[in-house]
Amino acid sequence: MISASEKRQLLNREPCFEDITNSLRATGSQPKGIINEARDVVAIARKFADEVVRPHALALDLKITQDHDYLPWEFVQQANEWGFYTLFIPRIFGGQGYNISTVGFFVEEIASVCLAMGNLIGVHYLGYIKLIASWNMKMINRLSREVVAGEKSKKPCLLSLAMTEPNAGTDSQNSEFMNTGNLGCHARKVDGGYSISGTKIFISCGHLSTWHLVHAYTDLDRAAENTVMLAVKTGTKGFSFGRTEKKMGQQGSIASELIFNDCFVPTGDVCVENEQTNRLSRSIKETNAQIFAYIWSTSRAAGVGYMGVAAARGAFEKALGFASVQKVDGTLLINQEWCQGLLARMYINVAVARTACSEGTQACAMHGLWRILNIKPIYYLIRYTPAPVLDMIFNRLCERPFMTWLFRKLCFNHQKNEEIDRIDGWGSLAKVAGTDAAITNCHMALELMGQAGLRHDQGMEKILRDAKLLQIYEGTNEINRINVFKRLIARSCDQAVAFSPSNI
Amino acid sequence: MITNNDKELKLLDRTAREFARKELAVGREENDRFPHGPFFGSVLEKAFDLDFFHSILPEAHGGIGQGISSLCILLENICREDASLGGIMLTNSVAHELFFASNASELLGTIIEDGNGAEAFLIAAPVFNDPSSQTPLVTAYKTGDGYQLKGRQDYLVLGGIAGHAIVPGVVDGVDGISFFLVDLKEKGVKISEPVESLGLHACPGVDLVLENARAILVGEEGTGKACFEKMVSKLSVAGAAMALGIMKGAFKEAVDYTQKRSQGGRPIIDWSEMRMILANMAITIKTSEMIVSRACQAMENNESGWEACARAGAIQVHDMACNLTTDGIQVMGGVGYMKDFGQEKRFRDAKHIQSMFGITPMKKLKYLENIL
Repeated sequence: MISASEKRQLLNREPCFEDITNSLRATGSQPKGIINEARDVVAIARKFADEVVRPHALALDLKITQDHDYLPWEFVQQANEWGFYTLFIPRIFGGQGYNISTVGFFVEEIASVCLAMGNLIGVHYLGYIKLIASWNMKMINRLSREVVAGEKSKKPCLLSLAMTEPNAGTDSQNSEFMNTGNLGCHARKVDGGYSISGTKIFISCGHLSTWHLVHAYTDLDRAAENTVMLAVKTGTKGFSFGRTEKKMGQQGSIASELIFNDCFVPTGDVCVENEQTNRLSRSIKETNAQIFAYIWSTSRAAGVGYMGVAAARGAFEKALGFASVQKVDGTLLINQEWCQGLLARMYINVAVARTACSEGTQACAMHGLWRILNIKPIYYLIRYTPAPVLDMIFNRLCERPFMTWLFRKLCFNHQKNEEIDRIDGWGSLAKVAGTDAAITNCHMALELMGQAGLRHDQGMEKILRDAKLLQIYEGTNEINRINVFKRLIARSCDQAVAFSPSNI
Repeated sequence: MITNNDKELKLLDRTAREFARKELAVGREENDRFPHGPFFGSVLEKAFDLDFFHSILPEAHGGIGQGISSLCILLENICREDASLGGIMLTNSVAHELFFASNASELLGTIIEDGNGAEAFLIAAPVFNDPSSQTPLVTAYKTGDGYQLKGRQDYLVLGGIAGHAIVPGVVDGVDGISFFLVDLKEKGVKISEPVESLGLHACPGVDLVLENARAILVGEEGTGKACFEKMVSKLSVAGAAMALGIMKGAFKEAVDYTQKRSQGGRPIIDWSEMRMILANMAITIKTSEMIVSRACQAMENNESGWEACARAGAIQVHDMACNLTTDGIQVMGGVGYMKDFGQEKRFRDAKHIQSMFGITPMKKLKYLENIL
């Protein structure tokens, strides 16, 4: 028989057993209650898609084609009234507490009807994920409760993630490139906080957000070791909005320019700085890379990957609808064998992409941002404790530096390197699988629909225009493929290096 | 395109490229705003004055009477910068060829010789479908001195700009398709606002509703399908030339950008992954150029099977253009997706023109049917 050590050795051989069994392992480790949460969010998302998204999606796209400075506040108001901006905020911070593992299912339902509207909700959680990745419990609690208050007062409070700069796209999102890149958003330490100057671009929903989670750098030449994460509120002196980008698609979800000119950020709004992370077990640069992995893994697997699934599904549904009514040579397309094969290929693309995103999401659930909250006793304790009791306890606890210290110990120090590799690798894999499936299915649908597909009023051409952005933001698919190599493949070859000048 | 050292073609190549660079590249973003911005009528007139609409038109009709290569060279160069003008040129050629295929050149002569400037010269046509697959078609009823048409024709390209249109229909009681010439100012002709579309914004289509509108039969009743196929065989390669031009424009903009943009401390053109994408683009373009040039040569030499050469080549080149323009955006990242640059338009236009003459799967099946 096989000895324990031999078994361990065999299972660690590539592909590593843990890497190929995310969902299987999650079945045992994750709370069962998440399944019912998923049912809830899919049902509410479908209702919202029917009542709000479908009737207005094409009109919003057209409206912004005509007037690209238009801001879709009415949609944001509706999403806020439906409670969507607090849906995935944990109950300990005053939110509705739906598990982040279910956000992908939610996003898919809305984005399969309109990617831009899916983004108008989803991007808020991208900002929120960045906030969580700081593990600054005081800031997380404070901003979470502002979002909750915004829901109650009907004044939406959204969060944005601000990272990309005019001369730094890839450079701003990968710690390997920061020190040789062209980063320009400078943070100067001043009495009582930081003063930041620089510009951020392509910030999704910037103009619509109240808080902006901004990466800035105290030393632009050594940015990887000198990154600060700051929360800047709209209206702060020295902070202004620039242009909104004229995009090909996802027009409802605006892309903003954020301009900082000696903008003072008080110490209380600093989420992460070196003084806070220099006592952790990893180096400051490694911790910054770990924060990136936390952000990108969840936002790629549970976010943009599922947006890709949604676009692939939207294209499939358009093609199916067209084939069901269109006759060619006297026979409905749907009853022609070649068309059935084509539709089946599209369906398979959706299913395979969704499976990849589900695997990535489960990896994150076990080893990523929500790992602590998904430990079964903690999960059920938080779920069944009355909200007022949770508020009373956590509002006080989160004020104490001890909480930030504790969560950073748990989330940074206790996360193993192989777990970082797994979540980050699977995040990239899911993102590429989902978004490539989106473009593939859009091409297939348009080839099937011909002239009908070219018309805006049929909705299919919009899906293609919208979907193309998915292959670009949150790291181009090219960069994400290299990240898959770095995180999941390179370790099997000692001589392999990734994201290095030697790769030219 | 390969000009085989033909002096006339070389001159045409230079003239068209210079025109595209000077007249089209500058106003591309603004022109593409149509119908939410002005129509580029003055550019259209300049192209008309340069005889870009007359290259393959027989001399008897005031044209230059050159071969298909000349049209392809023009379209390729125009579409490097803005495929909308190429779309207008091609639509007009589609209409002309339908007349010629129907042996109705005299009727065509009465239209274009009456013309006064580009817009009066243009004839609208439904370019993005195959009328034999279209249901329902316009119905034609015989009257004393001609025909009256009833029904609708969706996405009639140039319908809001041209003076006349050629429209497929079915004569009541007669099998098969026929083509009709419709004066778009006639009573009973209703034209929608320009249809919002994926690409070719400045080559707009409209939905046409005909309520007992007077029309003239083009050719003979029931012969429209054969005429359409004849036209497609000839002009498929012109559509492919448009795709080739779009690809060349995308490649040039991609290379220019990657030489200027740096990430990770080095120009992104030095990243080997980027070089691989650009290499694949370059190879695709060279392959497409060979396909288009060879198809033109086969047609001009009247080689046996030139129709198959043109049709198969066109299907392939359109497919390659759709993939290449995706990469054209990808190499530029976020800015490639923005309207300030040309790549997003090329991506849309390449996909748009792939549907020329019908849906791609049926074009493939028809190709097989033709060669079996």
